[in-house]
Order: sequence, then C-alpha cells, then structure tokens
Amino acid sequence: MFEFFNQPEVIKTIVTIGSMALFFVGLFGLLTQKHLIKIFMSIAIMETALFLLFIGLMYKKSFLAPILSDGQTGFTNMNDPIPHAMILTAIVIGMAVLALGVSFAIEYYKLTGKTNIDEMTSLRH
Amino acid sequence: MSSILFIALPLLFGFATPILSKFGKNGVVFTSTLMQVFLLYLAFTLVSNPEPYIEIISIAPPLGISFILTKASLFSVTLFTFLMVIFSLYYLVHRKTDAYQNETKFFILLNMLLASSIGLVLSSDIFNIYVFFEIAGISAYILTAYKKTPSALEAGLKYLLTGAVASVFLIFAIVLIYINIGSLNLAVISLSFDTLPYNVKVLISILLLIGFGFKVEIFPLNFWVSDVYEGSSSLVNALFSGIVVKAYLFVFFHILYLFLPSGEFSVFLIYLGTISMLVAEIAGLKQTNLKRLFAYSSLGQVALIFTAFALQNTDAIQGALFIAFAHSIAKMIIFLALTTIHKEYKSFDIEILKKLNSPFLRAIMLIAMLSLLGIPLFAGFVGKFLVLKSLAVEGILSVLIIIIIASLLEAVYYFKLVGFMFEKSEKKDILKIGFTQKLVFLLLAVLLLVVGMMPFVVSNFLLDGANVLLDSKEFVDMLGAK
Repeated sequence: MFEFFNQPEVIKTIVTIGSMALFFVGLFGLLTQKHLIKIFMSIAIMETALFLLFIGLMYKKSFLAPILSDGQTGFTNMNDPIPHAMILTAIVIGMAVLALGVSFAIEYYKLTGKTNIDEMTSLRH
Repeated sequence: MSSILFIALPLLFGFATPILSKFGKNGVVFTSTLMQVFLLYLAFTLVSNPEPYIEIISIAPPLGISFILTKASLFSVTLFTFLMVIFSLYYLVHRKTDAYQNETKFFILLNMLLASSIGLVLSSDIFNIYVFFEIAGISAYILTAYKKTPSALEAGLKYLLTGAVASVFLIFAIVLIYINIGSLNLAVISLSFDTLPYNVKVLISILLLIGFGFKVEIFPLNFWVSDVYEGSSSLVNALFSGIVVKAYLFVFFHILYLFLPSGEFSVFLIYLGTISMLVAEIAGLKQTNLKRLFAYSSLGQVALIFTAFALQNTDAIQGALFIAFAHSIAKMIIFLALTTIHKEYKSFDIEILKKLNSPFLRAIMLIAMLSLLGIPLFAGFVGKFLVLKSLAVEGILSVLIIIIIASLLEAVYYFKLVGFMFEKSEKKDILKIGFTQKLVFLLLAVLLLVVGMMPFVVSNFLLDGANVLLDSKEFVDMLGAK
C-alpha cells in the first residue's frame, strides 16, 4: 500500500502541496497577527516552508549522499549538494535575523511595554 | 587580486576590531579610516587606468563563486568607498564631543555595511547576492536601532520586519531559479532564463520585484522608509541614502538586464518608478520634521533613478548613474549638516533652519539642495537632463510630464527650506564647525559644482559603465559560461 507513496512524482506532489500550505499559513499569520513575536513566528514559518520545498524537490531517492568515500570515485548517482549547502546557509542567516528581531522586540517591550504593532505609532505624524 | 580586497579588507577589519580595540581608544577609529582611505586609493588607481578594466575572481562556472569588476561596478565601488571615507573623516571630529556608545561595535557595523554593499555590486552569483543582501540588511537594522531609544527601536523593528519579508521572497525566487535552471551563476541563468515557460518567468520576476522592491524603496513597498529615517540618527541616514539604497538599486537592475535583456516588463517598471516619485514628492510637501522631509526627497530621487534604469537604454542609464552620484553626495552633505545642526540646537524641526546662524553651512546646504533639484551648473542637472532627453526620444510623454510635475513639487518644499534658511529673524549663537568637517563639506560641494559645470570629466566613464551594464551578452562571455 505504501509503495504508492514511494513514487518520485507522488513524493514531489506531496512536498509541493505541503510546503506551499505551510507557506500560506505563514503568510496568513504575517498579514493577520498583531503581536510582534507572532509576526516573527509567521516569517520563520514562511522561510521553513521554502527550505522544505527546495530540499524536498531536489532530493532524489536511491541517490547517495555527495561524499567521496567507500570506493566512490566519481560524482555519479549522487544527490546535488548545492541545495543542502544553500539551505544550511539560509537557515543560519534566517536564525540570526530572527534572533536580532526578537531581541529588538524584547528591548522595545522593556522600554515601552508595547507588543502590538498597531500601537507602534510614535513615528507617525 | 584587487577586486577581492574591496570585500575582504572591510570584512576582515570588522572581525579584527575586537583585537584592535585593545590598542587604546583611538585604535579602531584611525585604523578603520586608514583602511578605507587605502581602498579609495585602490579604487582611484583602477579608475585612472585607461585600459578597460575587467577582473574576474572565480572558481570555474557553473560551479563557482565569482566576483566581477567591470566599469559599471567600479563606479559603484568608488562611490561607496568615497562616501565611507567622507563619513569616517566627519566622524573623526564628531566623536570628540558626541561619540557613539561602544564605538567598537559601531565600527564593526560600518565596515560590514561597506563590505556587503560592495559585495552586492561585485557578486555574479545569485546566492552570494542573497548573503550580502542579508549582511547589508542586518548591519543596517542594528545601525538604525543603535541608540536603543523607543523611537530608534521602533524604527529598527519596522526595518527588520520589512527586510525579513523581503528576504523570504528573494529566497523563493532563488529556489525557483535553481529548481528550473540548476545553477546559481548569473551568466548561466541569463543564458537559459528566456527558455523558461512564461508562467515561471513571470512568477520569478514578481518574486524578485517584491524581494528587491522593499529594499529599493519603490511604491507601495516603501511605507517603512520615512519612519526608519526619522527613528535613526541623522548620521546613519547619510549612509542609508548614500550607499545602501544605491547598492540595492544597482544589483536589482544588473539582475534585470541579465535576465530580461529584451525588456518585457520595462513599461510596467517605468510607470511604477514614476508613480513612486509623484507619491513621494506629494507626501514630502507637508512634512515638518527635517529628517522625514529628506527621507521623502530621497524616495523621490531613488524613484527617478529607478525610472531611468527601467528605460533600458544607454543614455538613460548614464543619466541614472549621474543622478545616483549627485544624489549620494548631496544627501551626504544634507545629513551631515543636519547632524551638525542637531548637535548644537537639539532639534530636527523645520523651524530650526530659521535660527541657523552659520553662513558656511547655509551656503553648502544651498548648493546641495540646488543640485538635488537639478538646477543647471550643478551635478544633479546633468543626470536629470539626460533622463528627460531619453524619455522625450522614446516618446513616453506622460511619464515626462509626471516627472516634471514631481520635480516642481520637490522645488516647492526645497524653496520653502531655502526661504527659512535665509529669513531675517532672531538667530541663535554662531554655529562652530571643526576644520576637518569644513574641509569635508567643501570637498563635497566643490565636487558637485565641478561635475555640474564640467560633466565631461566623468561622462565618458559613466557611458562606458552604462554600456557594460546593459550588455548582457558580453557579461556572459566574460564569465565564460557556455
């Protein structure tokens, strides 16, 4: 029964639909939520959805990890290493931005007691 | 090996600052300025070289990371290092009375900003562009919120939120590009972008437009700009409108020319830029805070540069580079002058100009404003003239008329400011300006006048830059991706 899910096309369809659903969950949160931390969470969810989409689509089943060892000499039958390297970098950067944002939010809360973006109005004239 | 130095030296310096700060209080400031002066010297030796300069540092494409230094990117690199040197020289005097807390951190951020802006311009690999996009963003967010007052943090949060959303869309575009083309190298993408299905092409273009749209401050994605300018200190604003926006603009259009050399969306982009300009100038009319007012003026000028780049012909791009040059220098003058004024009078209200008692500063600010308006004999005129001329040649008269109306609106509030400056009313005590700072202001003003009166000094260089920027085939050949 589970053989059906092992077909590459089916896996790719599931990955695409799932990650796009996750992306729109994040987008919905970004547009509707007012709490600063929740907005940061929404952005993180959107990013994660893209990472999943990329890794899921570029992964080829029954291909090896791209490491030259154990008698492997050529780059045949290997998964493409670039998406993994890219996503690792992107995760680190996304994490740094998120941490910076949360630290700004905490400092801002300490100074003013506000967490709602609709109340951030001291710069509007 | 020289083009890598423009990125490596400031980055290395950023990381070495904690060690350098052990050598006393002034160690970081002076070594950083010296390093920037060295970079400027390097840039000038490259500019004065009559040979067409192309330098590529790469691991062979389609695998490799590559930096490519052409005349177009050399222009940006020189401009950015020049502005950063000017900024550092100004800060050397400013810090004696009004130093930033924790200067070591401040200098790490400055050098990161410089390195990433140059990196954005030189990279020819879309993932590297994303990395530099984020480094420039992060240093700009921290610089915005540096003073940790409620308004600075609010501005920082707004900047960070919009930047994070922008980067999500940029990643989405990169992911789609890699899935469809299988490479990150701009030259390889440029070769096969045209063969993609129409829907995918449009989707990627829209995602790139949203991702970069936040950063190049285009209507309706520019709602955050005026808040960020008002919340952050005016010293840092000089960098934002001089360096950061210009780097994003340059790289956005570099990518656009490579991916869509035939200009499928150029009409849409031209109208987008024109509308942005009109909206910004209308919003600028009723501002009473100087920083906010100049933020709207920056938005207007950036939108004009955007329109000129979107025209996708050599004359217009040459004009765009001219405006970018004149605008960066004029805004540097304005924001540094505002910093000087704020240090004495503690106010950014528009009325403060009435009490400004410094003939030198008034004259310098007048020159900068006239150049921003595009009055003949000032550097801003040449660029605006070239852009309007090529609009007339292309026959897009509606855009031409809107730009002229927007320029008139800009003139209305600039002449209001000039009127305030020269009004005979109660003046405060005379404003003291340090010798080095006077020299900095004079240098910038003279540059505006010299380029305005003798545009031929730089026009050939800019024309070559425009040609290189527009020629996507040559770029592909240069990177050798076949």
